[in-house]
This record gives sequence, C-alpha cells and structure tokens, in this order.
Amino acid sequence: MSYHASKHKEGMLLLSGLCVFMAFMLGYPAVANIWYSLSNISFSDIHTSEFVGLVNFENQLFSPKMWKAMGFSLQFGLICAALEVVLALLLVFTLHPILSRRPWLTAFLMLPMMVSPALMGVMYRLMLNEFAGVVPLYFEMFGVYVNFLGPENIYTTVIVIEVLQWTPFALLILLAARQAVSPDIEEAANMDGAKPLQLIRFIFLPAMLPAIVIVAFIRFIDSFRVFDHIFVLTGGGPGSKTTSISIYIYKLFFNQNAIGEAVAVSLILLFMSLILFVMAAKLIFRSE
Amino acid sequence: MKNLLLASTIAALTTASAAIADITILAWPGGDPEKALREVVTLYNDTQGKEDGSKADVIYFSRQGFKEKMLTDAAAGSTEFDLMLTATYDIGRYAPFMLPIDDLIDDETYKVFPPNAIETQKFEGSVYGIPNDLSLHFLYYREDYIGQLLSDPAWIERYQEISEKHLGQRLSPKAPEEWNWDDYIATAFFFTRSINADSPTRYGTVLQLKNLLFNMMLWQATVASHGGDWQDGDGNITIDSDAFRRGLAIYKTIVDNKATPGDSSSYEYGEANSAFGSGQVAFMIQWNAAVPELNDPEQNPEVAGKFALTHQPAGPEGIKTHFHSLGLGLSAASENKDDARKFLRWLGTSVEANTMYAQLGGSPPVVDAIMSKVADKRPDLPMMGEHAGSYGFVMNGGTSEHALRLYEIIAENFTGYWAGELSEDEAISNVEEEMRKAFAG
Repeated sequence: MSYHASKHKEGMLLLSGLCVFMAFMLGYPAVANIWYSLSNISFSDIHTSEFVGLVNFENQLFSPKMWKAMGFSLQFGLICAALEVVLALLLVFTLHPILSRRPWLTAFLMLPMMVSPALMGVMYRLMLNEFAGVVPLYFEMFGVYVNFLGPENIYTTVIVIEVLQWTPFALLILLAARQAVSPDIEEAANMDGAKPLQLIRFIFLPAMLPAIVIVAFIRFIDSFRVFDHIFVLTGGGPGSKTTSISIYIYKLFFNQNAIGEAVAVSLILLFMSLILFVMAAKLIFRSE
Repeated sequence: MKNLLLASTIAALTTASAAIADITILAWPGGDPEKALREVVTLYNDTQGKEDGSKADVIYFSRQGFKEKMLTDAAAGSTEFDLMLTATYDIGRYAPFMLPIDDLIDDETYKVFPPNAIETQKFEGSVYGIPNDLSLHFLYYREDYIGQLLSDPAWIERYQEISEKHLGQRLSPKAPEEWNWDDYIATAFFFTRSINADSPTRYGTVLQLKNLLFNMMLWQATVASHGGDWQDGDGNITIDSDAFRRGLAIYKTIVDNKATPGDSSSYEYGEANSAFGSGQVAFMIQWNAAVPELNDPEQNPEVAGKFALTHQPAGPEGIKTHFHSLGLGLSAASENKDDARKFLRWLGTSVEANTMYAQLGGSPPVVDAIMSKVADKRPDLPMMGEHAGSYGFVMNGGTSEHALRLYEIIAENFTGYWAGELSEDEAISNVEEEMRKAFAG
C-alpha cells in the first residue's frame, strides 16, 4: 500500500466517528423533518402521518401571515445587526485604550449577554411596566410619559432590548480584531502623520473587515431567529405586530397543531440561511 | 459485620420501595393553589396512601409554555407523570393521550362535587378529570371610590357630564351590581384622570390585551351577554354578528379613550393585578384567583380590604361569565395506572382533602355543604359557586379539540384590532374563516 493510500485510509478511519455522530445527531432529525414537512401530521396522529407531498410548502409559501412574520424577522435582524455592529465599533475605538490597560473591565461589559433572553424579557416586562417599573418612574420624574410596551412603541422597545443585550458580543469580537492589528502598523501610520479618524478609516477598519462581516452575519442570523424576549414581552402581539418567524413557527406547531406546515417553514428558513451563509462566506474570502 | 449491615439496609430499602409504588402528578404551578395541592398530596401520603400502599408526588413545569411542554411529553408517551392537568377548554386536545375515568364517578363523588362541576371535565361524553380548581371572573371594584361616586353630588354631576360628552347619553352612577356595559364604560371614563382631572385614580379600569388566549376568555362575556356565540345550534359560525361587534366596541372605546393603561396590549393576569394593586385603577374584570393575592396587605397594601367583588356588567341577554375548571386526569402512558386511579378516587371523594385545599387557597368547585365550611376564610368561594351556576357560559365549540387553536386565532386578530393593526371587518372575517376551516375538519 502506498504512503498516500495509507494516509487516506487513516483519514477515513479518523473521520468515521464524526460522520456517525453527525448522521445520528443531525442526519436523523433532518430526514425526520423532511418527512414531517411532506406529511399531514398533528399531535394526535404523530405516529400515523399521511404523505401529502408539497402541500405544506405550498400552503405556507402562499400564506401572507408567514411572509409578514418573515418580513418582521428580516427587518428586525437587519436593524439589530447594524445597530450592534456600529455601537460595538464606537465602543471599541472609544474604550480600546482603557481596555488594553485593564482587560478585566471587559468582563463587566459582557454581563448583559450572560443573561438568558427569556429572563431578559421578564426583567424588562417588570422594568418597563407603568405601575411597577423603574424606567417609566424615572421618565415621569422629568414629566415625560412613555408607554414603552404600548403598540406605538413596542417595535422600538424590542429592538432596543435586543441591541442592549447583544452589543457586548459584537464588542468582544471586534475588540479582539482591533487588538490583533499590529502596533507597528499603527506606529508607522502615526509617524506618517495620520490623524485618529484617518487611522480608523484607512488602517483599522480595513484590517477588521473580516471580523465585522462575521459579527454582522452572526448577529443578523441570531436576531433573525429572535424568540424569547419578544414572546415573553408581547406574545407576538398586539395582533401579529411583533410575531417573528420563530414565534410564527412555534405557534403553528404548538397552538395550531399544524406540525407539517411548521416544519416546512423551518426548512424554508434553513434553505434561506444556507444562501445567506454562502454569500457571507464569499464576502469574507473575497475581503481576505 | 459491616457488610451484613449494608446488605440488610439495601434489602430493606429495596423491599420498602417495592411496596410503595410512586405516582407523579403534573399540576398547574404557582400561587396558593400550588401550596395547597402540595399539602393535599402530603395528606394523601399520610392517610389513604398508606392504606393504598401508594405514595404520590407532585411536579410542576413553569407557567410559560406549560401546555406546550405537557402536550409534547404526552404525545411522546412520557412516563414521567401519571396524572396530568386537564382544563375544560382543552380536554379534547389531550384526550388522545389520556384515559377516561367514568368508573371513578359515582354517588360518593357527587357528595363532594356537584354534577355540573364534573360536566366541565367531560369530552365526548366521557369524564377525563377530577376538577380541583374552578376559574371564572369577578368585577373587582374599589368600594371607597364607588361609594363616593354614588353619594357625592359633585361627582354625580361630573359623571353625568362625562357620560353625555363621551357616550352621547346622560347616565347616572349605579352600584356595580346594577351595571350594564354602558355604565362600565362611563365609570371607566369617570375614573380616568386624562378625562376627569379630579379622578382619584389614573385609570378607570385595566384591560388585558396581550395576544394570549386567556385574555379572550376574560373579554368574551361582553359577547355572551349580548347573545353572541361561536356557532349557532346548526353549527353555523356566528362571529360576524352584532354581539361580537358590540363586544369588540366595548374594549375599543376604552382603549381609544385611554381609560386603560397605554401598555395594556402587553398585559395579562399579573400586570392587571399590579395595576389594580397600585391603587391607580378603580375597577377591573379579573380571574377569581386574584382575590387572596389582592387582599393580602403585605403584597398589596394599597387595595387590601378596600375592594369588593360582584358579577360582570349585564347585556341584553343578562349577566354572563366565562368559566372553566382545571383538574387532574390519568395519562394513558402511565405505568402506575392502578395507583393513579386510587389517588383520583380519593381526591374525588374526600371531603377532608377538598376542604383543606379550599382553606389553603385552592378553588375546588365543591358542593355547597363544603363551601359553607370554608366561607369564613374564603368568602369568594360560595360566590364562585353561585356565579358559575347563575351566569356561567361556555362558547359553543369552546370545549372541542379545536378550542385552544381557535382561542389563539381570536386573540391574534382581536388584539390586533384593539391595537389598530387590523380593521374590525378584517379581524372578524379572519376569525370566521379560520373557525369555519377548523369545524369543517
């Protein structure tokens, strides 16, 4: 047996464990989900589902409610990702001198993202309540009355909560990217007379671009599939005003008992995510 | 010697655990009913359980997503619990994963629970649960403020002006027992500071408008008291009716005139209690379960002892209140069915257990003889029995296997209307369409 053939065999052997693991942990659920998406299935007949072809996909692809939820998630994801990245960049450039001398301070900035999103929802449900909440109380002290959870403000409120919780994540990645920029380059640019804004524009931002794209992508995906804090705060309402695609799928699955259609939407979502992933990967490799 | 002792201990423990079969009860969590049920289970273990050679334990999921978790477990054939929660409005959904318990219901049961209470645990003619908590709605109102409204000439004059200006009719204040829905709205306006600067409260009432099925149960007395129903006797869907439009309008008028907090669209049970408990709301329609909490001076010093209860306002078809019962039923996947049935039999026939449960904060729909025993400590209980008997209604189709799903659809569309997201016609037409699809199968 040649050296290459032997190495190939070893490689296959070493990979086999991972493949078996993936087949059980991802492959089986994936196949089961594809079957469910092609079946008429509910909780009462979960073991005796009936094959219906693409009917579930057809129903959902032509459902205005599904597209409304998809639109909400898309808009929510884009706004949150953009705000988080911009805020994180501002924080990185402002706080970098302090954080590089006292890195332990970073831990404090990470606290919001350590709280579970559902708990965050409960927390804000209390904090923003007109009668029991501390935030409306402070606003009232200045003669300002705002209904943070009222229909007119609820969209902004859920975005602000998401941004407050997850900007630290973007900050963490972007701070690492900023710290990875060689001090020699920074020093050389300074010697050439570069001003702070020029340093950011021509040195740091281009060097940090792959990290920015990755963070924006991760945050978009994460915000796109938002569920917990919105569900706790509004239940997707009033009406369907804050129904994200995840809440839509959840309600379809559990409340409407339309398991096949819920899984079909999940697969549509998976397919869309794959497209996004390929696009983001291309962007990253191109910028590198 | 050590080994011998160890072996004896293990043998003794093994024998003991074989003799005591455990049953696990999955029950509705939170508040006084949870504490009360734990005590009842302890009572069983100390008394009847010893005779039955059975020991019961109780477990709880969190309230958020409770039904979904139970549904998933039940559909998966989980053996983690033997007895599970039942509710009038969703027995049909869980019935495929449960076993009927008709053979446990006899004259002994009716000495504890009246027949109409057992009826609330039936699906397609079979009994699926022993009821242990009755849920209905009261009108909670501040006695001090309403008392002054009925006696202070200046307040009466102002009330008449407000009703004339906002409702187009000069109404006079009435006692809450005599209210119709116009009185309800007019009084809500009177006690709203943005409408009446002299109001002692910030808002007249507090509505629960979160997109949540339970909030629709609270609202639909407005419809029932105007003769509305989901379906007529022939099975025709009757959502597009004057009764539903009037019910929607009652809430919309209050929302548009800001007589309920501006963030009511995110309110459910807890938020409404905190609004009323803050002393900034004059009255509200709320579940009976809130009585002990609001009357507790430690939790709600602003309102404890200052409010009274009555039925909801009347419509042309009289006074109505939605009611349902929660209960405990037998899981089809249980591996300890015999012991579980023994526990249910005991729960369904024990005067002591149900009296204890009521005294500790539960609301069992028991016969008058038991209600009267606890009336001193729980004056709301006899009232509940009376209201359920006199005013209780269940929408036609409200116990079907589609009920839960339909309540969700109603909640989504009607809360959307109140928030200005949908027109009245859109909301009604959406609900009609979904209801027609559901009942057509």
